[in-house]
Amino acid sequence: MNGPGTPQCPAVEHYLAEVAARLPGPRQAHSGIVTELRSGLLDAVDGYESAGLPPAEAAAAAIREFGDPGPVADGFLPEITASQARRVVMLMLATGPLVGLLWLATAVASHLPVHVAMSWQWNPLGTGFHLIAAAVAVTTLAGAAGIAVTGRLTRWLPPRPRHAPLTAAIAGFGAVGADGLGLVLLAAELAVAPGKLSPLLAAAAAAASVARMLLAVRAARRCLSLRATLTSR
Amino acid sequence: MRAETLKGHLDGILLAVLEPAPLHGYAIMEAVRVRSGGQVDLPTGTVYPALRRLERAGLLAADWSEAGGRKRRVYELTSAGRRALDTERGSWRDFSAVVSALLQPAPLAVNPS
Repeated sequence: MNGPGTPQCPAVEHYLAEVAARLPGPRQAHSGIVTELRSGLLDAVDGYESAGLPPAEAAAAAIREFGDPGPVADGFLPEITASQARRVVMLMLATGPLVGLLWLATAVASHLPVHVAMSWQWNPLGTGFHLIAAAVAVTTLAGAAGIAVTGRLTRWLPPRPRHAPLTAAIAGFGAVGADGLGLVLLAAELAVAPGKLSPLLAAAAAAASVARMLLAVRAARRCLSLRATLTSR
Repeated sequence: MRAETLKGHLDGILLAVLEPAPLHGYAIMEAVRVRSGGQVDLPTGTVYPALRRLERAGLLAADWSEAGGRKRRVYELTSAGRRALDTERGSWRDFSAVVSALLQPAPLAVNPS
């Protein structure tokens, strides 16, 4: 029929563009949806053409049968939101241990009194560690909840598409807390005993935390924005 | 038949249509049309998101298939999907039995004399 590069049906492409425009989030997140809808529409056009309709009418009939672009796009919101939430949670859970190891290596290499910090006696370093541990716990629990509500368990759970992006946002903010506190502790240590810190490792840990914080903030805001869109449509 | 009345059973219908063999979206809707004797035309806007939802729940597995320059997403029933389908069938059997019984005309009272 047509070459591989040419759109097979301009009316269908126009319709798909209208649907895609109403899908929230980055385009690569919904290229799969558009590809699937395209083949479905073109199959429907073929069906109408074999029933005897001329090409233009077949395309119009297939598009009409599909429905208005708005409601069609809205139907995909829960799936896009769940997919995005799961990705964010996985990212937070995967990067957490990596960044944590860098900080641990920094503390060990700098001969920081880690065992004192971990004890329950009050000391500034210890308080900082405990707060970081609390933030990590928040991220881990929210992450686990996020995985649960975006995977196989959805078969048993009542459909609540707004929960997934919320857990992802909480996981993201927990990560921001943990990384931020790490940087605060680093600043405090620099103020008190700058020579003690292992420079390369400390710089690496700090850079990793800053990067993760920026990623986490952007991801959390995106999830909350998707959640708001879900609520409004 | 109005598609809205089937809404609660959409999942079961999609699982059942995929029981014999994997299909892509358009073929699924064709199968529903044929199996229902032309009575049911599923609204496309709800079918594609429903398929993705069933995939996320682990009841369907999906893969891309390229044929004739067209990239289609083919869905297949998983073993969890088969179990869910059995459950749906059981629920429907029980539900329709109860409703049928209730919709029957009330039995005439027998005069005990």
